This record gives sequence, structure tokens and C-alpha cells, in this order.
Amino acid sequence: MAKIKVVHYINQFFAQIGGEEKADYPAELRVGEVVGPGVALTQNFNDEAEIIATIICGDSYFNENLEKAKADILAMVKEQNPDVFIAGPAFNAGRYGVACGTIAAAVQEELGIPAVTGMYVENPGADMFKNQVYMISTKNSAAGMRDAVKKLAPLALKLAKGEKIGASAEEGYMPNGVRVNFFEKERGSKRAVKMLLNKLNDKPFTTEYPMPDFDRVDPNPAVKDLAHAKIALVTSGGIVPKGNPDHIESSSASHYGEYDITGVMDLTEETYETAHGGYDPVYANEDSDRVLPVDVLRDMEKEGVIGELHHLFYTTVGNGTAVASAKAFAAEFSQKLKADGVDAVILTST
Amino acid sequence: MRLEMGHIYIKDIQFASESKIEDGILYVSEEAVKAVALEDEHIKSVSFDIAKPGESVRITPVKDVIEPRVKVEGRGGIFPGVISKVDTVGEGKTYALKGMAVVTAGKIVGFQEGIIDMTGPGADYTPFSQTLNLVMVCEPIDGIKQHDYEKAVRFAGFRVAAYIGELARELTPDETKVYETCTIKEGLEKYPNLPRVAYVQMLQSQGLLHDTYVYGVDAKKIVPTILSPTEIMDGAIVSGNCVSACDKNPTYVHENNPVVHDLFEQHGKTINFVCQIITNENVYLADKQRSSDWTAKLCKMLDLDGVIVSQEGFGNPDTDLIMNCKKIEAEGVKTVIITDEYAGRDGKSQSLADADAAADAVVTGGNANQVIILPKLDKVIGTLDYVNKIAGASEETLREDGSLEVELQVLTGATNETGFNKLSAR
Amino acid sequence: MSQNDYIILTNNPLVFEKLADTHNVVYKDISYEELLKEVRDRIHEGHSLLSHPLSGSVKPKETPYKSVMISKRKGEVDQRSLSLIENAIQACGKFEDKTGKFEQKVYEDFQLIDWTLLDSGLASADAW
Repeated sequence: MAKIKVVHYINQFFAQIGGEEKADYPAELRVGEVVGPGVALTQNFNDEAEIIATIICGDSYFNENLEKAKADILAMVKEQNPDVFIAGPAFNAGRYGVACGTIAAAVQEELGIPAVTGMYVENPGADMFKNQVYMISTKNSAAGMRDAVKKLAPLALKLAKGEKIGASAEEGYMPNGVRVNFFEKERGSKRAVKMLLNKLNDKPFTTEYPMPDFDRVDPNPAVKDLAHAKIALVTSGGIVPKGNPDHIESSSASHYGEYDITGVMDLTEETYETAHGGYDPVYANEDSDRVLPVDVLRDMEKEGVIGELHHLFYTTVGNGTAVASAKAFAAEFSQKLKADGVDAVILTST
Repeated sequence: MRLEMGHIYIKDIQFASESKIEDGILYVSEEAVKAVALEDEHIKSVSFDIAKPGESVRITPVKDVIEPRVKVEGRGGIFPGVISKVDTVGEGKTYALKGMAVVTAGKIVGFQEGIIDMTGPGADYTPFSQTLNLVMVCEPIDGIKQHDYEKAVRFAGFRVAAYIGELARELTPDETKVYETCTIKEGLEKYPNLPRVAYVQMLQSQGLLHDTYVYGVDAKKIVPTILSPTEIMDGAIVSGNCVSACDKNPTYVHENNPVVHDLFEQHGKTINFVCQIITNENVYLADKQRSSDWTAKLCKMLDLDGVIVSQEGFGNPDTDLIMNCKKIEAEGVKTVIITDEYAGRDGKSQSLADADAAADAVVTGGNANQVIILPKLDKVIGTLDYVNKIAGASEETLREDGSLEVELQVLTGATNETGFNKLSAR
Repeated sequence: MSQNDYIILTNNPLVFEKLADTHNVVYKDISYEELLKEVRDRIHEGHSLLSHPLSGSVKPKETPYKSVMISKRKGEVDQRSLSLIENAIQACGKFEDKTGKFEQKVYEDFQLIDWTLLDSGLASADAW
């Protein structure tokens, strides 16, 4: 039977090209070569698979030329047409981890080739990509290579063969938000007793079901210099330009809107309205400033109370919208607000 | 309290002219057990069948699974307040017939689930594929109300189990285990350095096919109380529920409660197993508050260091579980909870309907929404009439080749929340 | 609690039939999930939950019926009620929709079970 074909991605350091000084090394394809950790991986393939090509890319190069690097590497992978793509493992190397996650996810999504990577749980690449691509949990340094490839290689083989992937605890990948059943070695009551004994003795234990994250946010310190602050408006009250151009749903909103209010001094009945279906819209439609106080903030801008009103506002409908969706909206536009140098946000709801 | 449990291993069940147990074989007189079942005027007819591990047999819809036992020494009898008088049980000597069960089946409501497969992939999930099962299917008299039918089947199962158990009275057990708990003072003196641990068991208590009975008392009407953990071994707690079959406790699970048994394993070694605390899962929110306040209060009054809390059922008991955990933890008592999950078929949904950061030690019995294909089996005990409409089943349930595409939900005991099984999820 | 102190929101005709003359019953011919949303709207208005919206083990979308008790009195929005009802609505999404797949007789059973679940709550409410 023909061996499973693997393409392996590593950075300049693991390719023994050099350290930080060589991090600008552009993407390079080495057909037929097994480089660095590829040797250990190959040993763990048990002759079932072979690395047909290794792709090497400097971490700085990848992250600074993201689009080009991604496109180049995808083209290389596509040309080799492997059965599975392995990136890393990256351990605790931050930029390498982000590169591994980015490229592994891209190979999987854009080329439809199964991909797997591995890194330390605190690597920034882990949070960014663990839900998109299988990611083996490794130690925080290359000293953990032996353990890492022992999990990485078998998982890659399973993915290549299209076999059923077991639970994270069995396969060694990071929990990815998908609950998978499997049989433990001991019954649940016994596991509970053991867990309790550890808890009683202040020894470490691992819960089998981590509670959802409780998002308690401490308020930021007060804005010191309001007179020079850039203030933005954000609302879940559904205020949108008349006609609701982006069709934000009246309940269970699936998206948010971003609208420019450059030069808008007042929201009028003719120009703005609410998309919200959960409250009596008459007063908001009559004067949308009641929900999104543009008029007052323009006054304050003029009076010098605030530095300026940000020219974009973000809006969605809070009515029955899932917390998860709301969080995702906010995570996205918060980055935009930050990038635009906004100092503070007034969040209005209804 | 000290209870000696004598185990008598049953290797086979056969129908015979006379009921008896000989050389580990249970001979059942069909006539005799029918008579026992038909003592209730609400039951029109009953049929008995035997299902053995590995056979191509599907039992459905299962109502209860019961392990026959007999009390040979000490106060009271098996199933106090139900079959025997209400004397307090849990001390003396009791024999259990291991490796077998009495299974009651019969359609009480039209959407009743509960499948036991004796072979195939389903058998990996239901623990009752491993027992020799004496199955009884009860038909009610015409025009009966569901409440009366449920009660009649429930009691018929206990009567038959007690009848079978009685056959063991004069036998010598194959194995004997001793379970002993101390009084509060004794425990403090005997195990001054061991952490004091209790088991908090939540009992399903909400209405028809959602009830549990303690010494015959409807658990809706109890306030949390304490038991000697040996009491359950004499049938102090019995099941009156069967919908959402995967995470309901049949009577068999109560008699063999795995948390009780695994805590006893550690009793006197690493912990002092003080007692069992029982509480309920009522519909009314003020009841939930009262009951969880009380479990926390009892934990405090008993000076406990740790507890294991087990849940029963889907949905609203998640709220009881979290309330119990949060309040018990707030008393400074370390808590481990056992639950199961409804994470959707794709495993991506929120598993529980409630959550709290205090619940940092969770054992799970797996995702009940997981889809499983059950092949067509040669024989069905009970009725397949409703199997394509059972909870968790989808429109493809009865596929062309006769196989069933169902969720684990329908398999009796599959995601049990007392930690009865090895199934888990991550 | 007097029968005047709570309201029953239900889509179960059996509950309406049994309680309409004696209790405050709001009956609507809507789906299970819509009924929960109806309850949520009342909670937004300041009513609080008295019975658990996911009472019973028959899954949402399997049984079409749900009856929930809320306080008649309105106050500040009760956060605990809100989180319970939101979690319950969210839970509906986890289950396959099986409405309309059963025979008429089975719907009567669903109605009965929902009624007994509610009835156990009524017993608790009426006890004080």
C-alpha cells in the first residue's frame, strides 16, 4: 500500500538556518527532504507515512508578509497535494505558533487537506486556532519534542485516513469546543472519588467539564482627560440608518452594523430608525438620539467637554441575541475601535 | 450501622415448573411469577421472557430494572415502605442475586423510550446488557389512567423481584462484603485525621414518570435528610421514573449506588464516609432553594470536609446541581459533582442549562445527544411500535434495513449521573 | 401563596381546561420555544419565575407543551429568572425538532405529563 503523503511546515530555527537574525527567511519548499523535527515525526509514522516535502519559513517573514506568505505556502502545499499537513510543533514560540495555526487552518479550509499542529497551551496561537484545527498540547519548550511527536504523528495518520478522531483526552489535542464521548478506564463514581481526594488534599485535579467562562469584566479606570478623549458610541438598541441597509434582524441578530456619522449633528426621523423588535419603536424612530445620543455628544464636542466623537458607531439588536454572538460582535469591533484610537465608549442599551 | 451483603452469583436463568436457585441457576416458574404480577387488579396480563448477554435481543420500552434481594437478618425487609413495612433498614444481613435483574417493560405513555440491547453497539452503552434479565411486560386493564398503570407496573416489578430474592433466603452466599458506618461521635474518635465525606444524592421528583420514592414517600415531599449509606442496599430508594432513560436511575442503580460503594472502598483508609444526604429536584423554584439551602446546612452541621453530588435527569436538575454545589462550596466543603451532557448532536452546544464557577470539579457521564446506529436485532421484547418516536429519535429512526438511528438518550442508563458507567466526554 | 399571586403561562390545552376557571391562566396556541420566549418577555417586564422552565425530562421540541408559573407581582427584573429562562431558550436549540411526528394519542400523553409537572409545582405554591 502506498504510504501516506505528508507535507511538514517548520520555521527557520527548527530548520537550523538560524535564530532571530534569520527570522526574515522567506518561504521555501524542499521537496523530498525531511528536516529537523520531521525526522522524529517520521520515526513515529511506523512506516505508514512519509514526509514528501518540508516547507520552511522565517517567523518574522510569515507574520510581516502574512498574505503573501500564506498564498505562497498554500501554493506549495497544493502542488505537493499531500494526504495530511503538519505544522510545527511550535512549543512556546509565539510567532511560530501563530504561523503554524494560521497556515494549518488555511490548508484545511482552503485546500480541504486535513491539517494538525501542536504547541504549548499558553502560546498565543493556541487560543487563536485551537477551535479551527486539531492542535496537540505540548510542553513549553523543545525539550518536549519526543512527547509531542508521539501524539502528533498518530493523530496525523488518523486524519489522513479519515478515521474517527477520539476525545481530546484520548488523542492529546487541546479541547476545541466540541464534546466527544469516549470510554474511560474507570467508572464515573470512582473518578469522582479520586477527584475529591485530590481536591481535599489540595492536589491538582482536572475537571472533565470546564464550566463556561464567566465573563465578569472589571470597569476600566475613569478617563482622566475627557477634554482630549475620543469617544465612540455603541448600542444594542438597534439604531440604524433609515431603511436598515444591512438588514440587522429585529431579534436574535446575526450581525452588527458600522455606520459613519461624519458631519451628522442630529439623528432625525428621516435619517435614522431602530431595527429592534423588542420594545415600542415609536420614540426611537421619532428621534434616534434617544437611544444613540449623537446630538448631545456633538454639543459636548463643541463645548470642549469631550475631545471628539468617533466618526463610526457600532450597532446591533440585543433582543434575544445569543450571548456568544454578542461577544463575537464586540470582540471584532473592539479591535477596530482600538485601532482607531478611541479612548472610551458609551454603550447604550434599551 | 453494619450491613453484611451476601452475593449470590446467578449464572443462568431458565423457566421451570418450580422456582428455585440451584448451583447458581435461577429456575423460574412462569406460572408463579405471573400470579405474583397479577395480584394487582390493574394488570390485565403479563408475559415473561429471558434475555441473556450476547443474545440478539432488544428490550423496549424499559420502565425499571431491579436487582432481587432478600433480607435475612436485621430489622425490616427489602423495599421498605413499598413491599415491606416501613422499619428502618440498613443493618443486619442481606443477600443479593448478582449478575441478573428483573426488567419491567411496557408502554405507559406513547413517547416512552428506554432500550436495552443485549448485543451490538447499544450493548456497550447500557449497563443492563451485562445482566441476565428476567423481563416482564405488563398489559393494563382497559381504560386505565396512566398514573394507575405506572404505579401498577412499578409495584409488580418490586413484587416479582422480592419473590425471586426470597428464593435465596436459605442459600450460602458466594461472597460476603461488610459495610459499616459510624455514628458521628464514633467517627470522630476512630478517624480523627481523616476528612469527613458525605454523598449528596439528588432524586428526580417532578410528576408522572419523573418520581422517586424513599421508604415509599414521594421524594417531592421530602426535605433533605440523611441516610446511613447501607439503607439503599436494602432498597430504601426506588425508581418511579423512566423518561430520558439514559440518565434516570433505575432501582438497580439505587441498590448498587456506585458512589456509595466507591466511598465505602475508601472508608477508614483515606476518608471517613459519614453519611448519605438525599435531596430532591422539584419543579417549583422555591422548593429548589429550600432543598439546596438544606443540603448545604446539613453539610455544615455534619462538619463535612468534602462531598460528591450526583444528579438525576436533564434540564432543570442542572439548576439544583449548581445550587447545591455553589452553596455547599460556600460552606467551605469541597465538592465534586457528577452530571451528564446535552451538547447537541455535533457536541458544540452548551452542555448544561446552568453553570457556576464554584463547580470546578465535574465528572461527566458523556453527551446524551451522541448519535448511534442500532442494528436490527432478531427479537424484540416489548414493543417497537413507538421506537421510531422515542425521545432522542429522529425521522430516520427506523431505517430501511431495520436499524435505528438514535441518540444515546434512549438507551437505559447510558449516561447515568451516579457514575455507574465508564462513558465520559471531553 | 394564593392562587391570585401567580400566573400560569401555557400552550397546553389540558392545563387550560383544568385551571381556567380557578387560576390565572394565559393560554396561547404557540410552540414550546415561543412559550418560553413569552415567559422571557414577562420576566423583562418584571415578573419572576416560580417554576423551572425546563421542568421534566421530555425534551424541548419533542413535547410541544410547556406550562410555566410566574409571579403576578412585578418588580425589578429578576436576574436569576432571566438567566434561567435564557438558558432554557438556548437549550431548545440542542434538540431535533420532532413536533408533528406523533399520533394524536401521544399528544394527549404529552399534555398529561406537562400537566403533572405543573401540578407538582401548584402543590408547592399552594402550600404556603
